[in-house]
Amino acid sequence: MHEDAPMADPANDFIRDYQTLAQQSWDAWTRQLQQQQPQPTVNPFFTPLPAPASGNDTLERTLAGLKGYFDWMQGAAASGAAAQPVDWRQQLQQLFGGAGQPFAQAFGGIDSAGAEGFSRQWQSWLQAAQHSGFGDLPGAQGPIPAFGLNREQQMQQQAMSAAVLASLQASARYQALIQRASQQGMQRLQDKLAEHAEPGRQIDSLKALYDLWVDSAEEAYAEVAMSDEFREAYGEMVNTQMRVRQMQQQQTEQMCQQLGVPTRTEVSSLGERLQALRREFRASQTPASADHADEITALRRELAALKRQVADRAGAAPVAKKATPARPSTSAVKKSISKAPAKAARTAAASKAKPDAASKSRISSRKRK
Amino acid sequence: MYTPLRIDPTKALGDIATFQRKLAAGMGHLRGMREPEYANTPRELVYSEDKLKVWHFTGHGKTTAKTPLLIVYALVNTVWMTDLQADRSMVRNLLEQGEDVYLIDWGYPDGADRWLTLDDYINGYLDRCVDAVRQRHDLDAINLLGICQGGAFSLCYTALHPDKVKNLITMVTPVDFHTPDNMLSHWCRSMDVDLFVDTMGNIPAGLMNYVYLTLKPVRLNQQKYIGMVDILDNPTELENFLRMERWIFDSPDQAGEAFRQFIKDFYQGNKLVKGTLEIGGKPVDLGMVTQPVLNIFAEQDHLVPPDASRALGKHVGTTDYTQLAFKGGHIGIYVSGRAQREVPPAIHQWLSARN
Repeated sequence: MHEDAPMADPANDFIRDYQTLAQQSWDAWTRQLQQQQPQPTVNPFFTPLPAPASGNDTLERTLAGLKGYFDWMQGAAASGAAAQPVDWRQQLQQLFGGAGQPFAQAFGGIDSAGAEGFSRQWQSWLQAAQHSGFGDLPGAQGPIPAFGLNREQQMQQQAMSAAVLASLQASARYQALIQRASQQGMQRLQDKLAEHAEPGRQIDSLKALYDLWVDSAEEAYAEVAMSDEFREAYGEMVNTQMRVRQMQQQQTEQMCQQLGVPTRTEVSSLGERLQALRREFRASQTPASADHADEITALRRELAALKRQVADRAGAAPVAKKATPARPSTSAVKKSISKAPAKAARTAAASKAKPDAASKSRISSRKRK
Repeated sequence: MYTPLRIDPTKALGDIATFQRKLAAGMGHLRGMREPEYANTPRELVYSEDKLKVWHFTGHGKTTAKTPLLIVYALVNTVWMTDLQADRSMVRNLLEQGEDVYLIDWGYPDGADRWLTLDDYINGYLDRCVDAVRQRHDLDAINLLGICQGGAFSLCYTALHPDKVKNLITMVTPVDFHTPDNMLSHWCRSMDVDLFVDTMGNIPAGLMNYVYLTLKPVRLNQQKYIGMVDILDNPTELENFLRMERWIFDSPDQAGEAFRQFIKDFYQGNKLVKGTLEIGGKPVDLGMVTQPVLNIFAEQDHLVPPDASRALGKHVGTTDYTQLAFKGGHIGIYVSGRAQREVPPAIHQWLSARN
C-alpha cells in the first residue's frame, strides 16, 4: 500500500452504501404502504378538513418513527459511538440531544399533532372566511365595537379570533410541558446509565441504549403527565380547541341555513326527539310487574343500607372514638380467606402453578358472616 | 473509571444491517398479506336490537355449566379481544372448560345513536340481553362477566337488577376512578365534557385511540413498531401483530350522551364509589351487589390501575368476594399465554363452586 494513499474506511464506505440502499428501501416502503392504506388523516381533535398533500399522517408518523430509529443507529455508528468515549455524557447529548435528534418525532408526534391540526384548521377557516366575504379578521388584536348590517358576523369573527388565539396559547403551553418531559427524559437516561458503569452491567448494543432511553422518556413523561400543571394544560388545550370548533360549526350552520341545507343541529334535534319517543314507547310496553320489581329493589336497597348501619355500629362499639369502615377490615378479610367457597378454585389453580410461583396470579377471597 | 457504554462497533454495524435486511424483506412479506381474521369461534345469533347483537358460542366440547355466562364488553374497542385468535381466545377456553358462553356485541354507533344514554345501555340494551338469555334457559338469573367499562356497567346492572344476576365476574374493571395513578382520569378532570360532547356529538374512535396512545407515547408510537421489524420475517408472529393492530384501531365511535355521562359521573365525579351515582334516575348502590363476586385485575394495567379495581372489595355488599391479581397488562389478561392457562380455568372453577 502506498503511504500517501488515503486509508480506506470500510465502515464508512459500508454506511454510505447502506444509506443509499436504506433510502431506496424507505421510499419503497412508503409507496407500498400508502398504496395499501389510502386513509384520510386522523387528527385527534378535529375531523379532517383539507386532505393533506402528503397523504396519511398516521402512516407517516409510524414510518418516521422507524426511520428515526434507523437514522439514529446509523448516525451513532458513523460518529464512532461504539468506540470508547472520553466523556460518555457528552456523547449521550450528541446521540440524543439537539434539534435534529432522530427521536424528536416520538414526542413530537404528541405535541405537534394538535398544533398541526389546529394550524391546518385555522388556515382552512381563514381561507373560507375570506372567500365567503367575511373579510379580514377583526378583533385579532382585541375587541372592536361592531355595527351595521354585518354587525353579528363581525362580532362572531372577533369571537372566533379570540378563541383561536386562546387555543394557540393553550397548545403552546401544552407543547412546553412535552418539551420539559423530553428534557427530563434525557436527565433520567444519564442517571440510569450511570448505574451501568460497572463491568458486567455496561450497555453493549445500540438497541439496549435505545430501550433504556425509551424507559427514561416514558418515566419522565408519566411524571409530567400526572402533574396538576399538565392536567390543567391538557384540559385547557382540549377546551379551547372545542370552542373554536363549535364556532366554526355555528358559522357553517348559518351558511347552510341561508342555502336551505339541513344543519347538524336540526338533525341532532330530531335524533334526540326520536330517542325520547323510543324510551316512552318502551316504558308504555313495560308490564306492571316491572313497577313492583322496582319497589322491591328499592326496599332491598333500604334493607342493605340498614344492614350496613347495623354492621357499622356493631363494629364501632369496641372502639368508640375511632371511625369504623363500613366493610370488614383488611385483617378480617385475610382471616376469612380460608373460609371462602373459592377455596376449591384457589386450590385447583394453585395445583397447576408453574415452578415460578412468584410470577403466578394471586387469588384472595373473603367471606363475611 | 468505566463508561456505561461499551458498544462493539462490529456488533453495532451488524445490528444496523440486520435491521435494514429485515425491513427490506418485510415488505415482501407484507405485500399481499390478507387482513388477519379473528378466531371466529362458531357462534349463533340469539338476539339483536338496533346495532347490538347477542352471540351464543357453540363450542365442540360438552357444556357442563348449569348457568350461562353472559360477557359484557366495553363500548370502546370491539368485543373480539375475547376471541382474538384460536390459541388466544378467552371465549374458546371458557367453552373448553364447560361454560355456556354468550357475548354482547355492541356494534358501531353512528349519528342515530348520538342520544343513547347510560340508562339506555344498562337498563335498556343490557337488561333486554339478560332477559333474552334468561328466557332461552328458563332461568331467573344468569352469570355476568363484565370487562373494563363493561364491568362497570355490569356492577351498575347488578345493583339495579339483583334478581337477574346469579354470580358476577368483573375483569380489569375501574371502580375507584380517582386513584392517584389513573392517568386517563387525571387528564379528563379539567375537561369541559359538556362542551366536548356538544361540539363533537359522537366521539370518534380515532380520537379515543389517539388518547390511549398518548398514555405511553414513545412505547406505543415508536418502540412497538421497532419491535415489529424483528418479526417481519416471521409470518405467524407478523400475522398476530397485525391482528392486534386491527383490533386496536378498528374501534367504534362512542355515543355522545353515554360518553358524557360516563366521563362526568365515573371519571370526574367518581360517583360509583361515592354512592351518588344514578342511572335512569335510580340510585346505584354497590351495597346491593350481594351475589358472589370474582374481581380479576391486571397488575401492570396502565389503563385501569390495579388499585382502581381493587377498590371493589370495599364497596360491594356481598359476603363472598374473591379477587384474582393477574401478572400482566390490560390486554395481556386476554391474550397472553399465561392468561390462557390461568384466567379461564380460574373463572370456571370459581363458578363451578357456586352453581
